Amino acid sequence: MAGLAQRAFGNGIVPVPSARGPDLNRDAITIKIAREVNRLPRFLHTADWQMGRSFSRFEAEDSAALTEARFEVIERLARLALEENCDAILVAGDVFDAQTVSDRTIRRVFNATRAFAGPWVMLPGNHDAALAESVWSRARRLNAVPDNVHLALEPGLTVLSDQGLAILSAPLTQRHTYRDLTEPFDALETPPDLLRIGLAHGSVEGVLPEEVDATNPIAPDRAERANLDYLALGDWHGTKQINPRTWYSGTPEPERFRNNDAGYGLIVDIEGPGGLPAVTLHETARYRWYQWRETLAVPSDLDGLLERIEGLRESSVLDIRLEGSITLADDQRLTEALSVAEARFRCIACDRTRLQLTPTEDDIASIQADGYLGEVIEELRARQEGDRAETARDALALLAELLRNRSEVAR
Amino acid sequence: MKLQQLRLEQIRQFRDPLLLGDLQPGINLIHGPNESGKSTLVRAIRAAFFERHRSKSVEDLRPWGDSAAVPTVELAFEHNQRSWRLTKSFLQRKRCDLVVDGTSYSGDEAEEKLAALLGYQLPQKGASKEQHWGVPGLLWVEQGTGQDIERAVEHAGDHLKSALNNLVGEVASSGGDEVIQEIEQQRGELLTGTGKPRGEYLQLEKDQQQLQEEIAVLDDRIRQYQEQVDRLGRLTDEYEKARRERPWDQALRNLERARERYRQVEVLQQQQARDKEALQYVQQSLALLRQNQEQLQSQNRKLQQREADLQKARQQLAREEARAEPLQTAVEQARAVYDAAGKALERARQQEARQRLVQDIARLQAQHQSLSLSLEKAGEFQRKLDEARKQKQQNRIDGGTVQQLRKTRRELDEETIRSRAIATRLSWELDPGKSLRLNGQQISEQGEERLLEDSTLSIPGFGSLGITPGGEDLARARRSLQRLEQRLSDELAALGVASLEEAEQRLVRFQEADRQLNHLEDLLKSVAPNGIDRLTSEYDDTGIELEKRRVEQAGLPSTPGPEAETAPGKTEAESTVRHAEAALTNAEDARTRHEKSVLTARQDCDNARREWQQLKDELEGTERQQQLQQLAGELAAAEQRKAGLEGTLQERDHEIQRTRPDLIRLDIERYQRAAETQQQAQQNRERELRDIRVRLEAWGAEGLEEQRNDKAAELEHHHRRYQELHRRARALDLLLNLLTEKRQALTRRLQAPLQKHLDHYLSVLFPDATLEVDENLMPGRFTRGNELGQMSELSFGAREQMGLISRLAYADLLLEAGRPTLIILDDTLVHSDMGRLEGMKRILFDAARRHQILLFTCHPEHWQDLGVEPRDLEALKGQTVSG
Repeated sequence: MAGLAQRAFGNGIVPVPSARGPDLNRDAITIKIAREVNRLPRFLHTADWQMGRSFSRFEAEDSAALTEARFEVIERLARLALEENCDAILVAGDVFDAQTVSDRTIRRVFNATRAFAGPWVMLPGNHDAALAESVWSRARRLNAVPDNVHLALEPGLTVLSDQGLAILSAPLTQRHTYRDLTEPFDALETPPDLLRIGLAHGSVEGVLPEEVDATNPIAPDRAERANLDYLALGDWHGTKQINPRTWYSGTPEPERFRNNDAGYGLIVDIEGPGGLPAVTLHETARYRWYQWRETLAVPSDLDGLLERIEGLRESSVLDIRLEGSITLADDQRLTEALSVAEARFRCIACDRTRLQLTPTEDDIASIQADGYLGEVIEELRARQEGDRAETARDALALLAELLRNRSEVAR
Repeated sequence: MKLQQLRLEQIRQFRDPLLLGDLQPGINLIHGPNESGKSTLVRAIRAAFFERHRSKSVEDLRPWGDSAAVPTVELAFEHNQRSWRLTKSFLQRKRCDLVVDGTSYSGDEAEEKLAALLGYQLPQKGASKEQHWGVPGLLWVEQGTGQDIERAVEHAGDHLKSALNNLVGEVASSGGDEVIQEIEQQRGELLTGTGKPRGEYLQLEKDQQQLQEEIAVLDDRIRQYQEQVDRLGRLTDEYEKARRERPWDQALRNLERARERYRQVEVLQQQQARDKEALQYVQQSLALLRQNQEQLQSQNRKLQQREADLQKARQQLAREEARAEPLQTAVEQARAVYDAAGKALERARQQEARQRLVQDIARLQAQHQSLSLSLEKAGEFQRKLDEARKQKQQNRIDGGTVQQLRKTRRELDEETIRSRAIATRLSWELDPGKSLRLNGQQISEQGEERLLEDSTLSIPGFGSLGITPGGEDLARARRSLQRLEQRLSDELAALGVASLEEAEQRLVRFQEADRQLNHLEDLLKSVAPNGIDRLTSEYDDTGIELEKRRVEQAGLPSTPGPEAETAPGKTEAESTVRHAEAALTNAEDARTRHEKSVLTARQDCDNARREWQQLKDELEGTERQQQLQQLAGELAAAEQRKAGLEGTLQERDHEIQRTRPDLIRLDIERYQRAAETQQQAQQNRERELRDIRVRLEAWGAEGLEEQRNDKAAELEHHHRRYQELHRRARALDLLLNLLTEKRQALTRRLQAPLQKHLDHYLSVLFPDATLEVDENLMPGRFTRGNELGQMSELSFGAREQMGLISRLAYADLLLEAGRPTLIILDDTLVHSDMGRLEGMKRILFDAARRHQILLFTCHPEHWQDLGVEPRDLEALKGQTVSG
């Protein structure tokens, strides 16, 4: 975890450790009491909820739990805002993963916002662009959108006078666009006593890795050029600061093994117009996703791996791919350890196809592979070096298991 | 193992004990005819080993009808330098005793020990069956089963394999076969025999495809949905733009302007139409006026015409009147000719009548004379006829009666002659002048009388002599003569004649008169066929006719003059009259026609003159002149009006042409359509928007992309599971192949010793042949030259030979492994030809160097050259009894 945090926030921004883990609002009431009436504007920045996404690579049960966690994280964000005395919550796009999610998903998303009665501003992203017919128009038809949720379906201004905020929105009205939708911010006038907060969804040019789409570009100096106090961005799933006034919040609940800097909500404090924003990261993720690529060579390697597995918190999604070689006895040990971990964790997948089985004399003796069975085992072991190594490995594992069962029954 | 002796007692036909001792280590050939007890011996050996002593299934051992029998077998044999002695009795006394090198065993223990030694099983209960026999089942060949080796090998399999394992000294993997089975079973759950997926594996394949299809459908619908969304966006923009800009308004304004211009043109066109109508009217009245003028001018020409007509009619009349004279003359001449011809005809007719009368009178005169002559003749014939009739009347006599009379007379004559012949003849010759009286009648001189009746001859003087003719015939003749005489007189009296001759004359005269009568009647008929009266009247009629014609002739004018002689005949005269009449008619017709022509011409002439006069009067009146003047005035006025109208029309037409009303009309249509189209387009947009919204609402509610994601997840799950099964299938396949391969290699190593022995024997029988042993140690594939096939496909004889060879090879194998071998052959190789039998003997002799063989046969001659002394079972029986 520590290494992870360092990697993710190498730019000096340190996340606020969450002693209580995902359950953030246990003391919500005390925090609420502490709230001042005349204080500086404070808001929560989040994005990329991707509601309606399914997790095909996991078994149905796990997939359902991960989906459920995405609804829970909305509730968690709402409570966080409440606890932290936020004036508003800004969602910078991709609330929904697709336009045609089910009605139920739409209703549940808006239901999940209830805990925070202050204004929400939701911006359409590339997944839920404000097309002529969109998930947003459907939500409105369903009467699912509470009054305190503002849908920024058209470019322009959302003025939250009570909160001291003027939100400049650059919603996507097409699935993809190749021009900078935030450009109009430069010319957009706002009341002078309100903070100018930009809300956009896209790729900041020249900052993100090459592989990211070149669509929906956003100028890196937009905040400066448009005289924004803060530019809340979405699209990049990890939390990322572009400059002191420009941030990607990342998705509040991770949904893939990449971008492991996900799982936070940003609380932004600005001391009046022109003031530098103070951004604090609050962990919102329930599940942490890990992907390990390990090579086993000596028996102690396996010990190290098993220790690491044991050290993980229970709400983990783990993907392991192993290479190298392993004895039959160790292979069984690994199998047992994974079996235990499976019961502990939300999800664990271990790819052993590149892990060779190397039966030792003891292995063979213990499974009583005498006569030609011994020859077969030797043959399979050798074949793991050949072109159909995977099949040979599988065959060897099968035979070993069968023989082990037999010798156990015999005993 | 060496069987040394065998003793049996109270078994089937061996009620008395039989001892087969002194058995040799090699071949022992025991022979005897059928039913001598060979099979009983074999059965006894088998029972001693296989059957439990307490078995109730050995009733077949009991001698027939002996309920108290105790079938007993005693065996002594040596194996591995230890001597074994077995005594086993069944049924009434169930016992089993075994002594091995002085150690005794009994009952089940003894039996188990033997089974373990020889390699067979004892039945749990009941009779021992094939599956229990193990090694002996293979080496002890019952009669007629030498060729069936598969089951025997199968039942001996475990013993054979353990023997082989001992030999090869290799561990055949504990439970390797079970592992193979398990792997096979696991593979079988995923793959078919030919390696095709099945069960869940196959189902996953199908499910994946199904899901892919469903996803494709969803993808397609999502694409449609997105297209519809895009369409909705574009359409909304278009709709809003149109709503703001209202492009149809401009078109409507243009339309209104065009319509105004068209209305102006229409006014001009109406005026034009009215003027055209006026012009037409003027033109019509002008035409009428001209027509009137024309008509008036034509009356003068008509008057001249009528004058000419009148002249012509007059001339015609004059010409007709001139033709009257010659026509009248012609009629008169024709009539004169006609009258003359009529007179000539009259004369010709008179002449002809006269001539006809003369002819009639001549014909009638001739006829009258002829009739008068006939009348005369008829009168004469009538007279003669009356006379003949009188003659006939006078001589009338009946021909039949005369005939009867003639007959009666002939009978009387005949009877008289006969009676004379029989009558008493009385002849006499009296002296001249003396007489006598006979019956009163005097007789004198000489004479003779025939006497028929009692007669009296009176001699004068003397008295009388009575003579009575004697005999009966005489009396009958006398009676017959009397009767005939009586009948003759009666018939004569009836005819009224005196004699027959008279009757005959009368008959001739009667017949003559009758013939005369017929002749005369014919003559009379020839002159007066209808009778004399008719002839008379014809004669009178002719006379009257003649007289009439004569009067007629007298009435005619006297004979004409001589010119009458030369006058033409009547026919010619008639022709002349007809011609004359025709000519007259012609002439009269011509005259009548001419008269009519004259009348017509005169009529025409009158008419022409009247018409000419009438018209002339009319034309010369004053009213006429005034009419002409008025017409001329009206014509001039109309012409002027026409010119005026034409001018106006042309001018206005130019004006209309300049404004191009056709184009204005097109403009109206164009603007109208443009407005309609644009409005329609807007309405269409509105409708489509509505439709799309409704559709999208419905589709959106389905949560297509979420559905698709779920399906994709499902597909991925299936795919993952499929991949797992796929890998597992491949692994199982590989594993099974490897295991099978290794196991086969092992089997081949195990088979080698057996194959060696088999090859050894086979080379004796078929130098180039091979017989392969399969993994179950079963002889399988057989090759000989180009022949290739299973042993079971060989002929019966060859199979039997191969069977024996195989058994000997097994025996060698068992021997090598230190197992006991005893070979018992019951009447074997009976289907082998001499050549093969020779080979088999070499093989048996060879095998007998290593194994003891008991060979039972009923054909000792086949085995003479086996090099052993045959033992005769019959002789053995005798020995035992005597011993």
